[in-house]
Parts: sequence; C-alpha cells; structure tokens
Amino acid sequence: MRTGFLSGVLIALAGTAATAQQPDTTARRDSTARADSIARADSIRLVRELERIRGEARPPHVMGGMIPAQPQQPSNPGLNPSISVVGDIVVDASPDGSTLESARRFDMREVELALGANVDPYFRGDFILGLSDEEGIAIEEGYLTTTSLPWQLQLRVGRFHLPFGKQNTTHRAELHTIEYPYTIQRLLGDHGGKGTGLALSKIFSPFGFYQELQLTAIERFPEAHGHEHEDEHVEEHGFEGVPAEPPNRTLEGLGYTARFRNYWDIGEATNFELSFSAGTGRIAEPFGCEAELTPGHFDPCPGPRGETAVLARQSLVGGDVTFRWRPLQQGLYRSFIFQAEVMRQHNEDPALPAGLPPGAAYLGPIEETTGLYAFGRWQLSRRLFVGARYDWVEASTDVERDFSAISGYLQFFPSEFSKMVLGYENLRPDVGDRVNRLLLQMTIAIGPHRPHPF
Amino acid sequence: MNRLVLIGAAVAALGAPLSAQQLRIVTSTTDLHDIAHVVGGNRITANHIAAGYQDPHFVEAKPSFALQLAKADVFAYVGLDLEVGWMPSLLDAARNRRINRGGSGDVDASRVIPVLDVQPNADRSMGDVHPRGNPHYWLHPENGKRIARLFRDKFSELDAAGASTYRANTARFEARIDSTVRALAPQLAAIRDQPVVAYHTSWRYFQDFTGMNIVGFVEPKPGVPPSASHLAGLIQQMKRTKAKVIIMEPFYDRKMPDFVARNTGAKVLVLPPSVEAVKGVDSYLELIDYDVRRLAEALR
Repeated sequence: MRTGFLSGVLIALAGTAATAQQPDTTARRDSTARADSIARADSIRLVRELERIRGEARPPHVMGGMIPAQPQQPSNPGLNPSISVVGDIVVDASPDGSTLESARRFDMREVELALGANVDPYFRGDFILGLSDEEGIAIEEGYLTTTSLPWQLQLRVGRFHLPFGKQNTTHRAELHTIEYPYTIQRLLGDHGGKGTGLALSKIFSPFGFYQELQLTAIERFPEAHGHEHEDEHVEEHGFEGVPAEPPNRTLEGLGYTARFRNYWDIGEATNFELSFSAGTGRIAEPFGCEAELTPGHFDPCPGPRGETAVLARQSLVGGDVTFRWRPLQQGLYRSFIFQAEVMRQHNEDPALPAGLPPGAAYLGPIEETTGLYAFGRWQLSRRLFVGARYDWVEASTDVERDFSAISGYLQFFPSEFSKMVLGYENLRPDVGDRVNRLLLQMTIAIGPHRPHPF
Repeated sequence: MNRLVLIGAAVAALGAPLSAQQLRIVTSTTDLHDIAHVVGGNRITANHIAAGYQDPHFVEAKPSFALQLAKADVFAYVGLDLEVGWMPSLLDAARNRRINRGGSGDVDASRVIPVLDVQPNADRSMGDVHPRGNPHYWLHPENGKRIARLFRDKFSELDAAGASTYRANTARFEARIDSTVRALAPQLAAIRDQPVVAYHTSWRYFQDFTGMNIVGFVEPKPGVPPSASHLAGLIQQMKRTKAKVIIMEPFYDRKMPDFVARNTGAKVLVLPPSVEAVKGVDSYLELIDYDVRRLAEALR
C-alpha cells in the first residue's frame, strides 16, 4: 500500500517536472526558436574557435594520417590509490625434503598487491590481491570501511581477515613467524580465517580502559582461504558432498563471530590485552555408505533429495592475551612481546536424512578440539629479534596423538621495508614421525610507508 | 513525533559548534602540545601521543591513544610523513570524523611551514626519506611562531568566544620567543659556521636557525645504521673539517657516536629534540634555550 502510494507520488512528480519543461504558449515558440538559433550559432563559433586553438597546438607533422592521442592531463596524485606490493619468498632447507604446501625448496609463496584510498567522505576502500603459483590470483581482502559513523562505530563491508583471536587479523607476511600458529591453521585455515560479509565494531571505555566489541555476519564460518575444507573431503573420501540446500539459504546458515577486546596500559612501557572471541556457522559435511569391497572407504549414497552432505553447526571459542614491553627511550633497540591464544572447536553430530541405506555414516568431524600456542619475542638490537613458539592441538579421534611443535626464529630487518626470518621447527605430528623444518623467509614491501602492525 | 524531535536534536548537537566546554586537543608530539597549551590556555585540554624522549617516527599505535583521539576536537600533527608509521592506524581506530583528513579538527602543522629538503624524486634507496620535506621543523623558533598562529586560528574557528584569548596568548608567546632568541645572541654568534656532525637529519632547521655547519651524519642515509666504512669516512671528514661536536638525540644508541668521538677527539652532545626529552626542558622556549646554550658550551 505504502509502496503504491510512493510510486504514485513519484509518477506525479515526474509528470509535473515534465510538464514544467514544456513550452506553454504558441506566442513564446518563436522567441524560443530565435534564442535556440542564436545559442546554436554561439556553439558553432565556440567549436570553431576551439578547433583553431587545438590546430595551433597540434604538432605540425602527423604520421601516416593518423591522429595522435591527446596527452592525458596529469591528475592529482593524491587522488590515486596508494599501491603497495609485498613479496614473500620462502626457502625450505628441511633435512627430509620440502615441507611447504607447494613442495618446493625455493618458493615465491605469495605476492600481495594492495590498493587503498578514501572513496569519498564516508568510505575508505582497501583491496588486497594475493598472487601465487598455486592459487593464481585470489581476493585476499577487499572491503569498504566507514569513516564517519557516529558513536565510535565502524562498519566494514566486503572480505576481510576475521576478527577472531589475535594473530588471525595479521597478514601472513607481517607475522613475527613464517606461518600462522598451527592452532590457527587447523581451526581457521592455513592462511588464516577470512570472511565475506559485514563487520561492525564499537570502541568504548566505561571503566577507564579501552574496550572494543567486534561483530561480524559472514557468508560462512569458517571461510578458509582457497576452500581447503572441501579439498580435505575430496582427499579423504574421494568426494566433496553436496547438501540439499546451501547453508546460506537461511540466516542461521550464515557465519557469525564476536570479539571482545580489553586493553590496559600498565605503565609507560608495558601494556596488556585480554580478548575473547566466539564464532559459529553451518557448514556442509558429507555422508556416505561404506563400500562393500573396500571397507573404510565411503561412497556417496544420495539422500531423498539427491544430497550427499548435511549441514552441521561448527562453533569456535577462544581467548588471547598479549603482553608488550617497550621502553620509550630505548624502544628502537629493546622490546619484548608475549602472546598466547587458546581456541576450542565444537562440531555438531547432525542427524542424517531419513531413508538412507544401512551403513550410511556421517563423515564430517564430530569431536571437540582444543588448540593453543604461546609465542615470545625479544629484541636483541635495532635490527635483530629472536623468538620462540610452542604449539599444541588436541588429537581428534582418528589420529594417534596430540599435535605439538616447538619453534625458534631469528628475525633480521635490514630496514622497515624488508625482513628476513630464519626459522627452525620441531614438529611432533598427530600421525607419523617427528619432522624438522628449517626455513628462511624473505619479505619485501615496496610502495608507500605501511603502518607498523601493533 | 517525539522520537523525531529527539533524533533531530541529537543530530544538531553533533554538528553544533562548541561553546562553553573546553576544546579537547591531542597532538602527536610534546612540542605541538606545549605550543597548543600556551595558545589555548585554560580554554583547552591537551594530550600528546609521542613522549619527548621517544623517536616520533616509531610510536606504537596503542588502543589507549585511539581512545584519546576518539574524543578529540582537534588532532594536530607534524605531518610530512613523520607520523606515517602509526597515525593512519590510530585515526582508523579512533572513528572520529572531526579529526579525519579534511575534518574541522584535522590540523597538519606543516602546511604553514616553509619546508626544507623537499625531494620529489626520492625513493627508498635513499633511506627512510621524507619526499615532502624534512619534518623536524619545530626546532626553528620562527616555525614555533607559525605553529602558534595556526593554532590561534584553528582554536578561534572552533571556539569563537575564546578568540581574543587565543590572540593575546599567541602575541605573548611570539614576544617571548623573540626575547629568548635575543638573549641567546652571544651563544648563537659562537655557534655560527662551526662544523658539527649530527646523528640523524633532525637538526636541519636548527642548523638554519643557529648557523651551525653540519658536515656529516652518523647515519649514512636517514634511518640506516652506520657501517664501518661509513664511520671511517666520517672520521676523516671530521678531522678534515675540524668538527668538534657530534649531536645526537637521546633515543639513539651512543655506541657509534662514542666510537667516532674517541677517534676524533670530538664530544658527543645529547641534545633534546623535543620538549620533555630531558629533565628541565618542559616547554618549547626552554627547549630552544637549552639546545642553543648546550651547543655553544660544547663548541667552546
């Protein structure tokens, strides 16, 4: 009813405007025609004048009768987006062969192309493309951020690193270590967890210290980069599984996260952050029927609507602490950071569709998994840092033992724009023998000065 | 209807000019903070982000700073990319449209400064350069006056009722700068044309003011630590030019300057580049006075 009324008003307004533009009397028609004629003559004169001026400015010799393109007027460089490129090169000198995802010894792991600028007085736009041999070109991040919402609100729309935990919000090339902690890799994705959707945050300080609440609604949770999740299914069961309906058909199928940050300045040189995160979403997980000839192998056995996957809720909760010490006067040469995160993942054991043959089984994860890491880094000199990390991820039902790893890192910064990291990792995988990794990472950034991550 | 009136009132309040309440000023450095305080008097409250004894290039973008900025009416900064490593993150975190670029409280102090060392063709092979010019301009008292006049105009724009106070405070500040500089005439005469070495390019405007002659830098390029060969060359240069003083900021490591000093017989002089960088230098005028007197003493 209201829409109809509004449409009527709009049509009426349009009609009024159109009527107002029409000549209303025959007597005025002649004078209008004269005015048009004069205006046309003026226009022609102006065009001729412009042609003459251009002709004078044109180079005397035009090759091959072709008209050369007019040189572009230099635009204001301040209106161009800032463009940065980050190159991430990894050398794997591990004793038992390459341990990298690409299986290469020398790997141009990723090139990040970042463009950013203010769009208008209301939004800033940032776009980060990831280029790699494995994935080609991928949209790492791409979002608009509001710049003028009241009440310390900020809205972000697009794809972004999920504000879940501490290190997940940092780009891999900017981490203190060569890769994300294994807890993040296993519970959020090898490249960290990202989301496409909306993020709303608000800062406040009712108790005198900094607090921030970050809420997101995203296409799905977790949204691992490069869809590793599906790849895992294909690798494990030989098929991916298709649900009867996509998870995002209803609002409860979307992913949601919340993060609550609390930050204190303990003193001039020290500060402490304690934050909590939670996320949930429904993901498609396959079910199948055990093959008679090859026990342990499952084949698709479609449900009544032809589906080979069901929707299962996956939830993740976590907490993180960060302690920093950096004396202001000696801050160029001395600093220390300690960081620890713990996450616990809960997986629903969903009911299978009715009417499946006996022996049909749900193939998705059903166990609860906990993971944690602790990381410390000490600054030795202006350019040199040494760090260590311990990772632990609880065993799932189908593996031998818990996963754990101890790592040491030596970082050297030739300048603010280049970084070299030598890393040694001793992994105790959940299956198989211990693995020793020796990695060297070189990261370079060209383009405008990038803000230092905090 | 009532709700509409309330929303209208809230929107009007957001855009309304400030009246009886104090202007909330946040500055990036202690120098701007002191000048803002002198100009604003008790009509403003002011906080600063970088400490005087901290390298203003490398400030951690702490969330607590974002909270200060979230409530600020004015954010005044040095500009010329001095704060580029941390200011964008803080402004983004603060979500305060008043101080965003182009906002009513966005005050880039460099826009009233005749900037030195503009290098439009600079690139990173030249070190951590500032293509738009050397940002350490507050170390020239004439630039201190320019900053004060900029603050006077901005504060008057936001708080018209205080305009006469801001005018009077600024005039008094300028007069005090003039009298301070006049009192330093003997020291300035002693410094003029004397060869010195500086650690970083922070003293370019101070050089302009005092007439000292910077014959070399401990850093081979801005932000790049010295190599052995650079220090060897610097030692030769100091011997050739008879430079007797190495000026450095309190936040740099003394090891390299001390090494050069031992090999040349020069003195290492730790000079505060900012207000509150050392004890007893609590105002902009004290900073100028202290630096000139200490340098003159060292050169004696």
